[in-house]
Amino acid sequence: MASDVVGRRYRAWYGMLLRLYPRPFHEQFGVGMAQTFGDLCRERRGARKGLLGLAVWVYFETLAGIVRENSNHMTQLTRTVLRVALGALAMLMVPLVASLFIPDWHWGVGGFVFAYVMFFGTGMAYALIARHMGAWAYKAGVGLALATGFVMGWGSMVHMSESENPANLVYFGVLAVGAVGAWMARLEARGLSRALFAMAVVLALVGVVAVVLPWDAPSGPMGNVAAMHGLFVGLFAGAGLLFRQASLAGAK
Amino acid sequence: MVKKETAQAPLTPAVLHILLALSTGERHGYGIMKQVEADSQGKVKMGPGTLYGSMGRMMEAGLIRESDQRVDPGMDDERRIYYELTGAGRAALGAELQRYRGVVAVAEGRLTYGQ
Repeated sequence: MASDVVGRRYRAWYGMLLRLYPRPFHEQFGVGMAQTFGDLCRERRGARKGLLGLAVWVYFETLAGIVRENSNHMTQLTRTVLRVALGALAMLMVPLVASLFIPDWHWGVGGFVFAYVMFFGTGMAYALIARHMGAWAYKAGVGLALATGFVMGWGSMVHMSESENPANLVYFGVLAVGAVGAWMARLEARGLSRALFAMAVVLALVGVVAVVLPWDAPSGPMGNVAAMHGLFVGLFAGAGLLFRQASLAGAK
Repeated sequence: MVKKETAQAPLTPAVLHILLALSTGERHGYGIMKQVEADSQGKVKMGPGTLYGSMGRMMEAGLIRESDQRVDPGMDDERRIYYELTGAGRAALGAELQRYRGVVAVAEGRLTYGQ
């Protein structure tokens, strides 16, 4: 009985130790590692041997693994950040070069900084979410959501710089709803589906307000305003449906 | 896709032992650990950190994959994840054994010549 209590305590401590692994590794192997440690403890108890020696050995051995995996994870992350930063810089060259040759292109420094942040943010979001990709529906959902979010954010930024109407900031609020939703969902398909539907609902409400109380929303005449909002609502809802499909496929 | 590092270069002892342990069929983590111990006559004792760290890299390299999640009737009623070799894993094991045979042949030739 006493050894059962000790064994449970050692397993609980081991479970806490496993949390020091990088999250993707912990999600993939945490349960299996804890089970394996439990199996080793059971084997040891069956042989009527104490658990302390085994626990100390496994803890140290696992700690070495934790250091190794975290160091690998950091290297990969640094490489990803660098790659996305360079990719965003390459994308920025397009408007930069265009502004030199197109007479009506008058972006200030702020415009270029914003464009870079948009490119980098979208690229990093894709790179980080890509780790969770499996089902085609999930991949398509991520692609559609990011592309729609990017175009909407970009359009709002351009319109805001032209009209100087801060009311257009509300569209960044829609993107913030998606970002917070994705964070809360921990990138799980089911939660992402809800986040995308929430974005579609919020954008639809914004669209209704824009039609009822026009504030110089991005598409000018009333019909265009309604059509543009409808298009983006449809795209976000479509991405939500794709995540829902991925979630259902995962549950099967 | 099989990464060059694991498909071409000599395998690490841990990877070789895991491939060997899985060559006769699918096993869960503890099963692999015990098979490695048996295959090496108790000389190699792999802890969970080394085992799962190596398995993570092997899965990335396409050498092994998860096969099933089920209860092991010989143990408790917990569901366990089983792992199995892929075609690439079997090929990598074959290539490594071939490399070992080559090394042994060279070594034996030299020893014979030396005598």
